[in-house]
Amino acid sequence: MSHELENIKDSVMSKIHEDKIKMKPKLYFILGSILTFLGLVGSIVMSTFLFSLIRFSVRAHGPMGEYKLNELISNFPWWTSLFAILFLALGIWLIHKYEFSYKRNYLHIIIVFILAIIIAGWIIDTVGVNDKLSRRGPIQGMMRGYMKNGGVQINSLPRLP
Amino acid sequence: MSVISNLSDEEIAEVVRTKDKEAYAEIIKRYQTKLMRYASYIMGDDHMGADVVQEGFIKAYVNLNGFNSKKKFSSWIYRIVHNQAMNVVKKYNKETPLLDNIDYKSDENIEKEFEQKETIDKVRSCLNQIPIIYSEPLNLFYVEEKSYEEISDILQIPIGTVATRISRAKIIMKKICLTN
Repeated sequence: MSHELENIKDSVMSKIHEDKIKMKPKLYFILGSILTFLGLVGSIVMSTFLFSLIRFSVRAHGPMGEYKLNELISNFPWWTSLFAILFLALGIWLIHKYEFSYKRNYLHIIIVFILAIIIAGWIIDTVGVNDKLSRRGPIQGMMRGYMKNGGVQINSLPRLP
Repeated sequence: MSVISNLSDEEIAEVVRTKDKEAYAEIIKRYQTKLMRYASYIMGDDHMGADVVQEGFIKAYVNLNGFNSKKKFSSWIYRIVHNQAMNVVKKYNKETPLLDNIDYKSDENIEKEFEQKETIDKVRSCLNQIPIIYSEPLNLFYVEEKSYEEISDILQIPIGTVATRISRAKIIMKKICLTN
């Protein structure tokens, strides 16, 4: 074993001397941390927004307030759900990169994370953020397009004071 | 080098990344035997263990700027070797016998040595039958003498899970040894 150990030391040190292996610069790790953080924040914001959109489109279903099952299925914004789940999965994957994720029960962290996103999305829609966004604000056009494509009827939305 | 040898692992890591690459030899010197024993245990083979350790030292050097010197260097480098070993195990998709071909030094007489060898063989035989998720924390705790917190950092599992796995490993090992 000692011969192998000597070989390891010589081999690694000669690679360092010959510049065959180089240290990645500090900037690489700083950028990595920043991108991970931004990715996590972005995935939280996007999945929360998309979950709020799902509730928004289910809520805004028709002038009479009635809902038939086939109507629900045909009007349900499946693409929103898909992207919401994708952003959620991205968030969960990025959480795994942080040390606290293994210091505590990872399953509990994931459950709390998913519940927090769904509840936040529900609250955002309940306080009327989506209604405001559909009438004014920078993403008004996108919201109108979403309602049109998703089969959400604009006249079903409550009027803002 | 004599000054270097008085420094802590974390301080040497700082010296390597800021002043003197040559100081990395001290890191290798301090960890090669321990890591070789650990990697050989996971791989079940000295040569494969040596490859894993060499690759581990290279990865540690390449990523040295990513090491947080406020954390324990020991846990960090064990983690790298653990990941490297797991990658190789997955790549070759083979069973990994444990604690084979590991040298045990003894100053005892031949009879005692024989008894010790017999005991070691029995322990090896029992350990071989324990799933690696249980036997690895057991090995880190008893052979590598790591604390629960360090094992948690190396394997990236909660401290409670470390305790549970070590406890289960002991129960499984007792059952297997008694059956044998």
